[in-house]
Amino acid sequence: MAGRRVLVAMSGGVDSSVAAALLHTQGYEVIGATMKLFCHGEDLPDRPCCSLDSVNDARRVCQQLGVPHYVLNLESAFGRDVVQDFVDEYSRGRTPIPCVRCNTFTKFRDLVRKADALECDWIATGHYARAIDGELHRGVDHGKDQTYFLWGIERDVVRRLLLPVGHQTKAETRAVAHRLGLDVIAEKVESQDICFVPDGDHIKIIRRELGGDTPSLQRGPFVLHDGTTVGEHDGFARFTIGQRKGVPGGFASAMFVIAIEPDTRAVVLGPREALMGRGLIARGVHWMCAEPRAVGDRVSVQHRHRATPVPAEIVRIDGDEIELALDAPLSAITPGQSMVLYDEDRVLGGGFIESGSRVARRLALPILASGV
Amino acid sequence: MAPPIYLDHAATTPVRQEVLEAMTPFFGARFGNPSSVHRWGRDARTALDEARSRVAACLKAQPDEIVFTSGGTEGDNLAIIGPWRMRRAHGRNAVVTSPTEHKAVLEVVHQIAREGGEERLLAVNACGVITPDVYEPMIDAEVAVCSVMWINNEIGVVQDIPAIGAHARSVGALMHTDAVQAFGKLAIDTTRLPVDLLSLSGHKIGAPKGIGAMYIRRGTPFEPLFHGGSQDRGRRPGTENVAFAVGLAVAAELQLAERERECARLCVMRDALQSAIMARVPDAVVHGAGATRAPHILNISVPGTDSESLLMALDLAGIAASGGSACQSGSVTPSHVLSAIGVSRSLAGAAVRLSVGKMSTDDDIARVGEVFPSLVEKARRLAGAA
Repeated sequence: MAGRRVLVAMSGGVDSSVAAALLHTQGYEVIGATMKLFCHGEDLPDRPCCSLDSVNDARRVCQQLGVPHYVLNLESAFGRDVVQDFVDEYSRGRTPIPCVRCNTFTKFRDLVRKADALECDWIATGHYARAIDGELHRGVDHGKDQTYFLWGIERDVVRRLLLPVGHQTKAETRAVAHRLGLDVIAEKVESQDICFVPDGDHIKIIRRELGGDTPSLQRGPFVLHDGTTVGEHDGFARFTIGQRKGVPGGFASAMFVIAIEPDTRAVVLGPREALMGRGLIARGVHWMCAEPRAVGDRVSVQHRHRATPVPAEIVRIDGDEIELALDAPLSAITPGQSMVLYDEDRVLGGGFIESGSRVARRLALPILASGV
Repeated sequence: MAPPIYLDHAATTPVRQEVLEAMTPFFGARFGNPSSVHRWGRDARTALDEARSRVAACLKAQPDEIVFTSGGTEGDNLAIIGPWRMRRAHGRNAVVTSPTEHKAVLEVVHQIAREGGEERLLAVNACGVITPDVYEPMIDAEVAVCSVMWINNEIGVVQDIPAIGAHARSVGALMHTDAVQAFGKLAIDTTRLPVDLLSLSGHKIGAPKGIGAMYIRRGTPFEPLFHGGSQDRGRRPGTENVAFAVGLAVAAELQLAERERECARLCVMRDALQSAIMARVPDAVVHGAGATRAPHILNISVPGTDSESLLMALDLAGIAASGGSACQSGSVTPSHVLSAIGVSRSLAGAAVRLSVGKMSTDDDIARVGEVFPSLVEKARRLAGAA
């Protein structure tokens, strides 16, 4: 693309601010945009992301750079594509990953439409990832790499994607911020929470969206794999695979959540070994590489943010469903989370985890039986 | 790139040179507090009184009928809550207004309802006009105050304030009008106008932001919102902003002196702009077109576009316009005024308000008449391709 006009998605944080500043220095015609995704009104203390202060920070950075800044109201689309799915996933006994859906739909679809309307040649964000020859690669700073959340982007969007901070470390980003005089922003606290979930309390959001009497917030049994009831919980939406907090004690070994069954509202418990799986099934698979992989191909799979990827073989592909046999067992393969396939640093594609495969169950059960 | 064009005069206007010059001494040697007994105080008091008389004269009112405020929002608050608090105990607990009012009126009326008052909203027709068959039965002997905006800030529609006021009077209700957009556009003679309270704002007419005035007819029951001083006869305590009051007086006089000629000029420009757009975008919809409209406001929706994108594209092309009501973050939300007149959500979401004024020239209009349709065509091509 010949043009130099770029729409930069700016959260008001250090990464996207530096991204905008770097592109501006490189001679791009920068247009800053902050997405307004939800409105908590006045009833929330400041949050590191998406708050009014963040909008103001982004605007100030743009003013300093001498570039235009706009606030894009994407509330209704975000509510539909991200928030609604988030609470629905919990209702289905799964653990959603809203950042993936936000990236897939809100940032790299709705925002791209805005960019098109403004005749922008490029889209940029402050993600730690690299777009190289139309393909996505992990950020140079592996500790900050965000490709785990970016596998849903369309390939033709990747071709016009600029990710300036993906080529440097977080420390370098902060240093650039200081050098550019963005001192306040350089030292802002990083947000770890999901932006629309105040204080990390997702129960509050489920209650608000679905009402307090929704099944996922009702009492239900804690059961062992053989069906023995060993206690009661007050809502399966409070649990995720691998969770130990809030689980009854008094067993020979520590117990973890190994499954959630929404039909009976049961939270199934088992020992640590029962969390290990040697297979993985995912749906909604999206390929980011030029040539999608086939059955028998070797890939490297990551099943959680910051987890170490393991080698695997593709054993089945059925439409948008994929099944992998893992070389080494993975812990807490959680339905609703992402699995991302890599070739070294290059993202091949990703999907939403449906289950640890039957292989996993067969291996897990005997251990479970002997352990309890 | 060609110089940017400002077509957002209904949002705010630059301070006029004459106004700035008139205010300057009060930031320097004439800094006194009008309540002080000494010469500095006397000097400031004289200037303030003179400013008050001059603003009063612009409305054919008495000086003691003018209260300086911080602007339109404060004026609207005072003018509705003030009388309602006095009259609610006397069998007049209701407040009447319309859904197309500025939020400064609507939110006040909602607040009154929360405090136990009765809220009555007058339906507007598809042009945005409140007709006698609607307001006559709604404004009755239980009404403390009726508040209707004279010129709508979003679509420019003019309400028949003399008629609504006359009816309100006939049943003993007080009449308030938000004349923020109307001042300088319509002739305002309070000796003939059946209106008891009227609010106006400085920054829409070439005075600074942060000053406005409220007219309160003599004898109007009124309870102040602020307490703590005798300034403005206790109706608005606090040390007066002398410099800005002087600025408001000068701006108001200039506005009045130029009113007829300027309105004619604005009207020609607005019509030219509307024709230029309609010629190339024939399916565009002009809101309030069927009603009497103020000369400076053009609110137009292009089906298949959205205001957010269009406003950004206009800005990038150097043209300043606005959409619905901007929220605190600066994002655009569909206008409550357009919803109230029955405009569909998608069309309301495509509305753009262009408002001409002092800074506007024929060249501006010619350029916008070119650029606006071409941006629309581009937006539609994209929407078609998607």
